[in-house]
Amino acid sequence: MQGEQQARAPVLAPPAEWALPERPGIPSNIWKFIRRKPLGAFGVFLVLLMLAMTLGWPKAEFGAPQLPSRPLGFELGKPWLARFDAETTFRDAESGRIAQYFLPSADHWLGTDKGGRDTYSRMVFAARRSLFIGLWALAFATVVGTTIGIISAFFRGWLDTVIQRLMDSFQAFPALLILILLVSLFNPDLTILAIGLGFVGVTSVQRIVRGVVFSTREQPYIEAAKVIGATDTRTMVFHILPNIMAPIIVLISVGLGAVILAEAAISFIAPQRVPQDPSWGIMLNVTRSFLPPDPEGYHTLAAGGAIVFSVLGFNLAGDALRDVLDPRLRVG
Amino acid sequence: MQQYILQRVLLNLLVIFMVATLVFLVLRIDTDFVVTQQAAQTQITDPGATERARDIVRADLGLDGSIFVQYRTYLWNISHLDLGESFAAREDVIDEIGNRIGPSLELGLLQIMVALLVAVPIGIISAIRQDTVIDYVLRFFSIALLGIPVFVLGVLVLLLVARDPIGYTPPLTTYRDLLPFPPFETGRGVDVWVNLQIMFMPAIIGGLGTGAIIMRFLRSQMLEVMRQDYVRTAWSKGLQERVIILRHALKNALIPVLTVVGLLLGTLVSANVVLETIFVIPGIGLWVVNAIGQFDYPVIQGVVLVIAVILVFVNLLVDISYAWLDPRIRFG
Repeated sequence: MQGEQQARAPVLAPPAEWALPERPGIPSNIWKFIRRKPLGAFGVFLVLLMLAMTLGWPKAEFGAPQLPSRPLGFELGKPWLARFDAETTFRDAESGRIAQYFLPSADHWLGTDKGGRDTYSRMVFAARRSLFIGLWALAFATVVGTTIGIISAFFRGWLDTVIQRLMDSFQAFPALLILILLVSLFNPDLTILAIGLGFVGVTSVQRIVRGVVFSTREQPYIEAAKVIGATDTRTMVFHILPNIMAPIIVLISVGLGAVILAEAAISFIAPQRVPQDPSWGIMLNVTRSFLPPDPEGYHTLAAGGAIVFSVLGFNLAGDALRDVLDPRLRVG
Repeated sequence: MQQYILQRVLLNLLVIFMVATLVFLVLRIDTDFVVTQQAAQTQITDPGATERARDIVRADLGLDGSIFVQYRTYLWNISHLDLGESFAAREDVIDEIGNRIGPSLELGLLQIMVALLVAVPIGIISAIRQDTVIDYVLRFFSIALLGIPVFVLGVLVLLLVARDPIGYTPPLTTYRDLLPFPPFETGRGVDVWVNLQIMFMPAIIGGLGTGAIIMRFLRSQMLEVMRQDYVRTAWSKGLQERVIILRHALKNALIPVLTVVGLLLGTLVSANVVLETIFVIPGIGLWVVNAIGQFDYPVIQGVVLVIAVILVFVNLLVDISYAWLDPRIRFG
């Protein structure tokens, strides 16, 4: 009798050390991520930095979305991080001549370019173009690629064969050349470039999605969904899609780096064919064409550094995301 | 095996047919723009000249007649290995490709040589000294090289050597000074010194980028192979470390690496468009970028087709040689 009560007592009032530990808060989770994946955290930091470069006060001018100044349907003002407007031409205070290739100073942190414009501000402006082309292209590539990948893997058979052969022939295309050709065929327009880049991305997105869906569709819960009479569409949208979100998120992060790189490469190779608003690729091309007058190379370093760090940021962040979200995809 | 090869060859022909169709369609998205651009360059001034100039340009580019007639002529010519005459130089496109493929192939092969020379020793060292300081340093450099795009590195290197203490720029050449591709004799003496001066910078820059990929791949392969039973057997037999690593482990770790190299061979011609543009190497890449600028339809169509043909058939060869290198692989 006495023994029974003693045995029950701890159940009624568990000792302090039995209590569940408190769920770790967001700050400690972030700290854990930084400690476990220092490179990934560095990548996230670079991505956030690039995002910060694109932010500015929205203006109350609405209209159809347009790259790069109106990416989300409303006009964005001068980025907070930029010191001057991108097209302002500065003049030397004494002689009144255009401030061509000035060295870095308190006013112009990275000097000025051939037209006397502030290099640092132009670098910040160009982030908006790169990031939003990336986002638009990835949105297109992800939506189309995921749809094609799921359908191709879900139905298999002749449909899969036809789709995959079509994708093979897209893959055999020299993508960079076709994109330069595409932008050359129209008046310079970033929307066309973004869609073209997205189109190139579709092949790789759909291939990876297809691979993942092949294993997902054999899972018991898909069979269960079929047994209770879910239609094909319902199975694909509500049962397969939510379960392949992890690889898709990773794909978006890595893909953004690739698209930013491709846009810079195209603007670099064919600068006359793309819109002339500030762009890292064009900035780099200008320094190549006028090598000797860029005396200390700040212009080159600004544009090149921006490209390298933004691509690196998305790649590192994507690698870390892959490890955290989806260990199946780990490579190397 | 024979059946597999036959099947793949037929599939490749299908892919090439689709590539041909796609490039045909892309080039006909907006022909009016191209025709206007070309016609604007004519010198005629009498009334009605614009329309006549447009008609001439249309006939020249093969854009007269309905799209079906154009398509039929186009396919007929391709099936007879006739890629037409280039619009700018009035020369047979196949001959011109033959002249210019030499420098492109040379650059690509040199890059692969540089890549292997750098990547194989570094990959081995990084793997057998895993998680030591050497490993971290080598991996850091490979990640850095993966992150820096070739056109940023290329411009930085050019800027560095062109400036004062060195003051060197590579000489300007045409394809006539460079090594010819065997079946197409250009029939002129080759200046080896000029050849080397032009090739060494892009070969090293491109080779390091490729080498970083190969190194990461080889490292992970080596780590896997070193844990295999037969390697442990070799250790316990008391073999020398050098013998175990080079003869037992490396041989097996290299097979997948060779596949990567093979896949690189497929993109040999198309991968160097950017480097050829920066270093003004008179290969296929520079030529086709200029051709796109001039809307030289036969050249664009021809080069895209040749690139696609090389890509799909090299990939087939790689798959076949894979089975030959690793007898464990069977094709169904």
